[in-house]
Amino acid sequence: MSRRNFLLQLAAGGVVLLTGAGCGVRRGAGNIPGTIVGANSKTGHLLRNGGPYPEPHHTVEVNVLIVGGGISGLSAKRWLQQEGVKDVLLLEMDDHFGGNATYGQNPVSKYPWGAHYIPVPDLRNREILDFLHQIGTITGFDTAGLPIYNEYHLCHDPEERLFIDGIWQDGIVPENGVPAADKEQFRRFSAEVAAFKAAVGSDGRDAFAIPVDTSSADAVYRDLDRISFRQYLTQKGYTSRYLLWYLEYGCKDDFGTNLDGTSAWAGIHYFACRKGRGVNANSSSVLTWPEGNGFLMEHLKSQCVANEIKLRQLVYRIEPVDGGGMNAYVADMVTGKGFIVHAQKLLLATPQMVNKHLLKGYGERTAACAAFAYAPWLIANITVNGFEKQHGMPLCWDNVFYGKPSVGYVNANHQDLGRVSKNVLTFYKSYTDHDPATERNRLYAKTRSELLDEILDELDFVHPGITAQIEHADLWLWGHGMVAPKVGFMWGADRTAAAQPIDNRVFFGHSDLSGISIFEEAFYRGIHAAQQIVTAS
Amino acid sequence: MPKKDLAADKSNHLKPSGVLLLLSVFVVATCGLIYELIAGTLASYLLGDSILQFSTIIGTYLFFMGVGSWLSKYVDGNLIKWFVSVEILVGLVGGCSAPLLFAIFEQVASFRIVLYAIVGITGVLVGLEIPLLMRVLKNNYVFKDLVSGIFTFDYVGGLLASFLFPLLLVPYLGLIRTSLLFGFLNLAVAWVVLYRFHEVRTYRRAYNTIIGGALLVFAALFVYAEKIMTFSETATYQDKVIYSKSTPYQRIVLTKNSREVRLYLNGNLQFSSNDEYRYHEALIHPAMQNMPNADRVLVLGGGDGLAVREILKYPGVGAVTLVDLDPGMTKMFQEDPMLVKLNNRSLLSTKVKVVNDDAYAFVRRDSGKYRVIIVDFPDPSNYSVGKLYTTAFYNEIYRILSDSGVVVVQSTSPYIGRRSFWCIDHTMANVGFHTIPYHAYVPSFGEWGFVLATKNYCWKNEGSFPAGLRFLNTDNLREMMFFPPDMAEVPTDVNKLNNQVLVRYFESDWGPYTH
Repeated sequence: MSRRNFLLQLAAGGVVLLTGAGCGVRRGAGNIPGTIVGANSKTGHLLRNGGPYPEPHHTVEVNVLIVGGGISGLSAKRWLQQEGVKDVLLLEMDDHFGGNATYGQNPVSKYPWGAHYIPVPDLRNREILDFLHQIGTITGFDTAGLPIYNEYHLCHDPEERLFIDGIWQDGIVPENGVPAADKEQFRRFSAEVAAFKAAVGSDGRDAFAIPVDTSSADAVYRDLDRISFRQYLTQKGYTSRYLLWYLEYGCKDDFGTNLDGTSAWAGIHYFACRKGRGVNANSSSVLTWPEGNGFLMEHLKSQCVANEIKLRQLVYRIEPVDGGGMNAYVADMVTGKGFIVHAQKLLLATPQMVNKHLLKGYGERTAACAAFAYAPWLIANITVNGFEKQHGMPLCWDNVFYGKPSVGYVNANHQDLGRVSKNVLTFYKSYTDHDPATERNRLYAKTRSELLDEILDELDFVHPGITAQIEHADLWLWGHGMVAPKVGFMWGADRTAAAQPIDNRVFFGHSDLSGISIFEEAFYRGIHAAQQIVTAS
Repeated sequence: MPKKDLAADKSNHLKPSGVLLLLSVFVVATCGLIYELIAGTLASYLLGDSILQFSTIIGTYLFFMGVGSWLSKYVDGNLIKWFVSVEILVGLVGGCSAPLLFAIFEQVASFRIVLYAIVGITGVLVGLEIPLLMRVLKNNYVFKDLVSGIFTFDYVGGLLASFLFPLLLVPYLGLIRTSLLFGFLNLAVAWVVLYRFHEVRTYRRAYNTIIGGALLVFAALFVYAEKIMTFSETATYQDKVIYSKSTPYQRIVLTKNSREVRLYLNGNLQFSSNDEYRYHEALIHPAMQNMPNADRVLVLGGGDGLAVREILKYPGVGAVTLVDLDPGMTKMFQEDPMLVKLNNRSLLSTKVKVVNDDAYAFVRRDSGKYRVIIVDFPDPSNYSVGKLYTTAFYNEIYRILSDSGVVVVQSTSPYIGRRSFWCIDHTMANVGFHTIPYHAYVPSFGEWGFVLATKNYCWKNEGSFPAGLRFLNTDNLREMMFFPPDMAEVPTDVNKLNNQVLVRYFESDWGPYTH
C-alpha cells in the first residue's frame, strides 16, 4: 500500500468512524421485497424420494426421447433435427428450459439466473461459430475466415473492476497497493499460462482445449489432474496472497470450488483454454447479454420444433424393453397423470445426480454417477435505484470484491445502450468452505433474511448505504449448481464410465460429463450424444 | 475581598463538570463555524460570487452572535437548563440547515430569506452560549483561567472546523450529511450535559423526548441525503441563477448577468446567449448550405432548439425531427418566453417534431432516410455517453442517412481534446464515412471542433448561406477546415463499444483543465 493510499484510507476511515456510516443505517434485510425463486425442488424431491408417482395410463411411441431441457438436451434436439432424425421428443421436469442458462425479467431488465457469458470461441469450435452466425452474434466472416462479431453482443467497455483497499480499480487482477514482488508472481503465472495455451501434446492435440475431451492425452499435462491446484501452485513457488486470491476467485467463478478442491488440470484449463479470435475480438473478449446465456438458450429452443419439447414432465424410471428400445416412465406434473414413452433411443441429458436414480437397474453405473460432486450456489438478482458516489472506476459489467467470499456481481443492464437509472445486479456466491453436501444442507437451512444478510454484508462493504437503494431482491439456491472438477476427476475413470452408452439404447449428454459446467461443453455434449444416436441407428 | 478568597478555593483544579463544559465549548464552536461554512458554500452554489456570499454570511453571523451575547443578560434562572435548550435549538436549526436549504433551492427568492434567517438564528444561539457558559463556570474558575479556557477551546474548535470542512467533510460526507452530523454533535452535548448536571435532572424526560424526536428526523434525513441533494455539488455559477430545475435526467440551471443568459446542464455550460450563434452557425450551416431543400432532417440532442433555429433559416427544409432525452428540457424551450425568443420559436414550428427518447434507442429503431443528421451530444466524458460516439452508433447513423446525405457531429475541442477530436474523426471514417473535420472559435468554449461526413464525397462548400448570419460565410468556412499544427491530426485508436478509448482520451485530454 502506498503512503498516499494509506493516508486516503485513514481519512476515509476516520469519516466512517465519525459518522457510523459503516454500521448505522442498514434497513432490515427482511423488509426488502422479493422471494426465493428457483429450481423446482418439489419435483426434484419426488425423484429423490422415489415417488409416489401416478400410474401410467398409456404409452407414447417415439424414435428418440431426450430427457432434460438444459443446453445439452436442446443442443441434441437441434442437432438431431438438423440431421433429419424424425420423431424426437424432449421432456424437461422443470417449468422452464435452460438449466444453468435460466434467466428472469423485471421492469428494469432481463437478468441471468446462472451462466451469463461465453468467451469468444476457438476457431476450431466450428459448430459453435455456425450457431452464433445463425443467431446474429457473428455477423459474417472476413476473407481469412475470421468471424466478425456483433458489437452489441461483445461485452461493452468498461468490463471489469475490483474493489480493493477501499477503491474500485480497473480490471480484476489486483493492482492497487500490490507490492512489486507479488506483481512479479502474476507476470510469471501469466507467462506460464501463455505457454500452456500454446502447448501441444505428443499426440499433436492442444494440451488444453474445448471440448475438454479433445485435449491432449499426453501424461505431461494429464498428470496435473492428480494434484490440487493449490498443490501445483505451492510446487511452483507461488506464495503471493494476491495471486492465490485471484486464482481461487477464478476457481469459484467457473467451478464453484476452492484451490484445494480443484484439480490443477482444471485450474489451468480455465486460463489456458481461451483461444478465440475474431476480426473485432481477441481471446479475452467475451459475449454477453442482459439475460446471460438465456439468450443462447432461447435461440437453441427456437430452433427446436415447439411441440416436441415439453415442460414439467418428470421421467422417474427407465427400463429396457425386450423387443428393443427403452421405456421411460413419466409423471406429467401439469395433469398429475402418468404415461410411458417407448423410445428406440434414449438420451439422458440430465446430470449424473439424477441419472443415479434413473439407472438403479444398472448397478455399476450408479457407482460412477455417485463420483460426481456438485458445488452449491446462491444467486441473487437485486434491483438497485442508483448508486452513491463511488471512488475509482465506474460501474462495470463484472464487479468483484477482493478478499470477500462471493465472486461479486454482474450488472445485468450493462449491455443496455440507452440511459439507465436503475440497475439489476446479479450477485453470485458459491459455497466452498466444506464438502458440497455439508454446504448444500447449510444453504438450504438458511432463511431468505439470513441469505440476504450475507449478501448485504458484502454489498454494503463496497457500496456503503446501498441497502437503502435496493428495491427488490430475488434469490435462487442452486443446491447442485455446477459439477466440481475435483482432484483426479477430470481424467479419472468415473467421468469416462458415466458417458458410455448402454446397450446401444441409452446415451449420455450432460455437461457434467465434461467435468466443468460451461455452455460450450453442454453444447458439444448434446451434439456428441446426437451423433452417437445417428451412428447407432 | 471575598472574591479573592473564593479564588483561592477555586485553584486550578478542573472539576470534571467544568472540563465537560469546556469541551462542549469546543464542540459548539466547531459546529457553529461548520454551519456558517455550509451556508456560505450553498449560497455560492446558488447565488454565485463566493466572495460576496462568504463575506456577508460571516458578517451576518458575527453580528447575530453579538445580538445573542447582548440578549444573554436577560437570561436568568436555571442556566444549565438554558444551556441545554440552546444546544438543542442550535443542533436542530444547524443540523437541518443544509437539508432545508437544498429543499428550497429552486425558489431563489425565498432561498435568500431562509438562508439569512438560519444564519441569524444560529448566530444568536451560538452568541448566547459563551456568555451562558461563562456564567455557569464563573464559580469554578479564576476569571483569567475561565476566559483563557473558554476562548482557547472556542478558537481551536474554529480551526478544526475550517480544516475539516473542505478537506474531509465536503468530499466524503457531502453538505447535507455534514450538517446533520454536526447537528447530532450539538444534541449529544445537550444530552451529556443533561445527564451530568443534577440541576436539570427533573427536565430529563421532557428533553429526552425532544432529543429523541430530533435524532429520528436526522436519521431519516441522513438516509435520504442523496435524494434531497438532487444536483451536482460541484456546480458553481458565477452569475445569478434565474431558473433551476431537476428533471429525472439532469439538473437544468439558467443564469443571467447584464450581458448574457447561460444554460448549464449538470453544471456544464451548454451555451452563452452572447456567442452561441457562433457554435450553432458552425454546427448547422456547413451541412445545410449544401442541402437547403433537405426533405428530412434529424437532430440528436440539442433540446434547446438553437440548432433547429438555424435549420429553419432554410425555407425549403421539409420535416425536422428533434430527439432529446429530457422532456423537461424541450418543454422549457417551448414555453419560457425568454427562451422561446432565444430559439426563435423553433420548437413550436409545425415543421418540427420533438421526440423525447434515448437517442440510441431512437436510432436503432428508426429506418431513415435523412438528408441531414445533426449529432449534438454532450462530450464523451463517461462510458454511457461514450457509447454515442462508437463505431456501432455510427453504423446506425450510416444506415439511416440517405446516400447523398450529410451528417455533422459536435466533436469537443480539437485544441484541448486533440486526441478525442481525431478519435471521433477516425471512428466515423472506420465505418465508411468520408469525413471533413473543421473547427470554429466560440469564446465561451474556446476552439471547438466538428466532423462533417458523407457516404460518397457529395459535399461541397458551394451553397449559399441564409441572410443574416453573424459568423459564417464561404471564405470563413474554408479557413475553418484548416488545422494549425497545435490541433493537427494525430493517430488514435477507433472507439468501439467493447473498447471505449475515447472516454480515456477525453479524460486525459481534459484532466489537466478540470482538476
